[in-house]
Amino acid sequence: MNKSDLKDYAVVGKPIRRVDGPAKVTGKATYAGDLLLPGTLHGKILRSPYAHARILNIDYSRAMKLHGVRAVVTGRDFPGVRYGFMPQTRDQLPMATDKVKHYGEAVAAVAAIDEDIAEEALDLIDVEYEELTPVLTIDDAMKEGAVIIHDHMDTNIAASSKMHFGDVEKGFKESDYIREEKFTTQRVSIGFIEPHAVIVNVDNSGNVLIQGSKQSPYITWRHFCRAMDLPLGKVRIINPYVGGGFSGKHEALDLDFAAAALSKKTGFPVKIVLSQDEVIAAFKQRHAKHVEIKIGMKKDGTLVACECKMIAEGGAYASVGPFNIVIFATSGLLLPYRMSHFKYEAHRVYTNKPWCGSVRGQSIPIARFAFESLFNMMIDDLGLDQLEVRKKNSILSGESTINKMTVGTAGMVEAIEKLGEMIGWDGRKKKKAPYRGIGIACSPQVSGARMGGHFGSSAVVKVDEDGGVCLIHGGTEIGQGCDTVLAQMAAEVIGVPVEEIRQMEEDSDVAVLEAGMFSSRCTFWAGHAVKRAAEDACQQLAEIAAPLLEASKDDIVFKNKTVFSRKNPGRAIAFIDLVRNAYYTKGQPIYGRGSYSASNIPMPDLKTGEGDVTNAWAFFAQAVEVEVDPETGRVKVLKSVCTRDVGRPINPMLLDAQLEGGTVFTSGQALYEECCFDEKGRPLQNSFLDYKMPTVMEAPENEHFDIITDDPNGPFGAKGAGEGSNGTTLAAIANAVEDAIGVRIKDLPITPEKILAILKQRR
Amino acid sequence: MTYIRRLPSFEYVSASTVKEACAVLSNNKGKVKILAGGTDLLVQMKERKVVPEYVIGLKQISGLNKIEENGKAGLRIGTLVTHHEIARSPQMQENFTCLAKACEKIGTPQVRNLGTIGGNLCNAGPSADSAPALLALGAVLTLQTGRGERQVPLEKFFTGPFSTILEEDELLTFITIPHLKGKSGSAYHYLTKRTAVDETLVGAAAALSLKAGDDVCEDVKIGLCSVAPTPIRALKAESKLKGKKLTDGLIEEASRIASGESRPRSWAEYRRDMVAVMVKRAVTEAWHRAAANKKGSGK
Repeated sequence: MNKSDLKDYAVVGKPIRRVDGPAKVTGKATYAGDLLLPGTLHGKILRSPYAHARILNIDYSRAMKLHGVRAVVTGRDFPGVRYGFMPQTRDQLPMATDKVKHYGEAVAAVAAIDEDIAEEALDLIDVEYEELTPVLTIDDAMKEGAVIIHDHMDTNIAASSKMHFGDVEKGFKESDYIREEKFTTQRVSIGFIEPHAVIVNVDNSGNVLIQGSKQSPYITWRHFCRAMDLPLGKVRIINPYVGGGFSGKHEALDLDFAAAALSKKTGFPVKIVLSQDEVIAAFKQRHAKHVEIKIGMKKDGTLVACECKMIAEGGAYASVGPFNIVIFATSGLLLPYRMSHFKYEAHRVYTNKPWCGSVRGQSIPIARFAFESLFNMMIDDLGLDQLEVRKKNSILSGESTINKMTVGTAGMVEAIEKLGEMIGWDGRKKKKAPYRGIGIACSPQVSGARMGGHFGSSAVVKVDEDGGVCLIHGGTEIGQGCDTVLAQMAAEVIGVPVEEIRQMEEDSDVAVLEAGMFSSRCTFWAGHAVKRAAEDACQQLAEIAAPLLEASKDDIVFKNKTVFSRKNPGRAIAFIDLVRNAYYTKGQPIYGRGSYSASNIPMPDLKTGEGDVTNAWAFFAQAVEVEVDPETGRVKVLKSVCTRDVGRPINPMLLDAQLEGGTVFTSGQALYEECCFDEKGRPLQNSFLDYKMPTVMEAPENEHFDIITDDPNGPFGAKGAGEGSNGTTLAAIANAVEDAIGVRIKDLPITPEKILAILKQRR
Repeated sequence: MTYIRRLPSFEYVSASTVKEACAVLSNNKGKVKILAGGTDLLVQMKERKVVPEYVIGLKQISGLNKIEENGKAGLRIGTLVTHHEIARSPQMQENFTCLAKACEKIGTPQVRNLGTIGGNLCNAGPSADSAPALLALGAVLTLQTGRGERQVPLEKFFTGPFSTILEEDELLTFITIPHLKGKSGSAYHYLTKRTAVDETLVGAAAALSLKAGDDVCEDVKIGLCSVAPTPIRALKAESKLKGKKLTDGLIEEASRIASGESRPRSWAEYRRDMVAVMVKRAVTEAWHRAAANKKGSGK
């Protein structure tokens, strides 16, 4: 950020300490695993040892005889209503009934007086299975005569997408240089530190209270009510602090359903806390993808056409798969560069592996990996400059894409320019050390895609009679910092310190919950709602202040806990006196209300891929420097520079941290991680002992820079930003490794063994 | 589904003398496990790989958590000394560099604060980092029973993956490392499978001494882990170096010999290649440390 970009804000744009920081670092913050209600029973879940099998019989009579066991439930204890993210692919049940479709799928659950007894009881449940042939790969799933996983379907293809804009054949004819490559990416686990946990109480009237570790309590609430066949009003969901989400905690999960059914059966609250090995073996992972991509460009690097075929292997259930494969093209390939011709075909297939859905960055990281890798190779082939070609093709403010997505503000070109300066691009050829390399990649990021169903944001600002401010919003603090950012916005409007804004747990009875914490949405959507609610409260107070200050209500300013007319700043009244006046003289409690939705945008057209999905696009450029040890093949990520146009960061310190987290997270998929299975579909990794994610030991040195574009559509000019570096890191690392060793590795992860094999061949 | 499960129930016995611990072992053969740091044992119990009736804690036995000079025999390390204590000991860092480095690599800070040198050896995992360092240093183990004690060189201790010569009623109490003679130095080099906090893929320790005044290798020992069913010595590579003037070329040759001595199962080709690289780096560093060793005769 340049000094001239600093506006006269009191707290917006400032790197203030996070509001939940002290509670978290002192261990006082409450998470789902900390909760206990009087009489709480403890639940454990029996999981399938097979990836694909028919359940012939479940006999839990022996378990019920164990001292301390209170109840057992199976799939038959639920209404049999299927749920899922997308109406067209509702394919999940709370627990398997007739068939298990992946290893670790829940088949029964026990509630007992303690965890040890509940676990012991699992050994006493006799399940008779008939093993079926597991479908484990894209080939298994798509071949002629394939074993069909879902009985209600006649293929294993859960969803497909086809797009064609312009005329791609014509585009390739007009191109001077065409290259086509195939990239493959692996399944990775999500890796939040806090495993799934929930406590559920069903009272005598059948009212359900769910308190769990949920990234998007709204989605859980809707899934839960549908599958349990309950009206929303029967179910209240309250969300404690969450130990990381990364898109792994949106939906209602087997433990939520199991705890509810067990609580209903026993009349006591039931708590279920999974262990990390259950999470790694049986819960959401990132799709494995095969991507064939072809790009045509002019001699000078001008991008002309792109054609892409993609198959996503997504496990036993569809989740957001149908949306994932559309976003791959629209948000992942059609920006940030201009192109005139584009053709796309994608399939999302079922297999007998844990289900895949959205994971931090959705499908953009894989799309950008494929595109930016091939683009990089072609720029090198033509002997052009990586930065110049990217700048030349970058979309500009006010332009539209070929599929009619409009871009408001776009600082892509400026971000690339600044990136070159910070990484020392021009000087690097002169002093290039052997086996060191720099890789560049760019990515767009939506500011919250509009989705189907409830999608608006709302907030309430209640001003207490002593001047305190209570902010009720639908955002969920999952570690990303939304409580801090939203408090900064409210504090800015009302003119009070951030510390005086109090917030509470998300509660479906009190707040209109956000549609969810996904798609880098919260700052933009909930931010607008919070800003408007604060403005509404101030408006109500301004009407009371105007006659007291003998001023027009439109001139009233709220600043530093005082209220004055901008025309006469010398005459001010204290904020608290104005609030007292409202309560004690006027008898008028102050409730400000605000809401926001991108209702100007139609629902994204999943069939054609045409049209807007968001009201603002953010843009990211990243340079990564790596060093490869030529004797061992090890890659060390030395440095990451990220330049970004996020409109205006509300809290640059939190944004830096989130983007650095995104870089380290994504470097795991680039270099270290892969979910492995045996020939029967059983996972080979059960804990972080065998499933290795990068830690601070692998983290590079980081630098950042903000290009301020103050997007007119965003609250205080802000755009969505949280997942930005997820889009750039895979490609930046892959490009850097090629720069270091002179050879391209197209299948992830880029392991030392692969690098060494290539280096040995070359020797 | 294989889980990491809740701890099974067991009876905890806190022994206050070695004799008492040995008596419990002897009276309940096959039903007892010894808890040193517990970082391996508790995980194995949660995985149900072992389900002991009794767990003996050694914490109350005095003397087992100390590093002491033991006259001519060398340095005596109690079985309960933690990885952290060894890694952070200036004496270890200076005189037994390879062991300090190996202990610094093990697990995470939390594991190093609890895990013990004796536990690491008795667990007998093929990838135990302390083992190659102790092999290179010529460590001798003190094994005690109610009937008496015996001294066993470490290379005779391991019999297979997770198995040792320990009798059912026998306890590892001390590890003695002789002081290195002459101008000497040691080093440990390793690679993990993927990330920094990860199981060792190849570990190589070297300890050597030089003849006074030149670069002739008077004595050398090389220990390896993760490349055979047990931690091993690279004896042929050692003989290639012994008595010769050290050069980069000679070390390279010896490293290739060490690679041939390794017997990895998984990731075999990569591991064998890496044995050569790690041995080369460990021997080279040990050589440079020895050459720079101003004490001349060591201790």
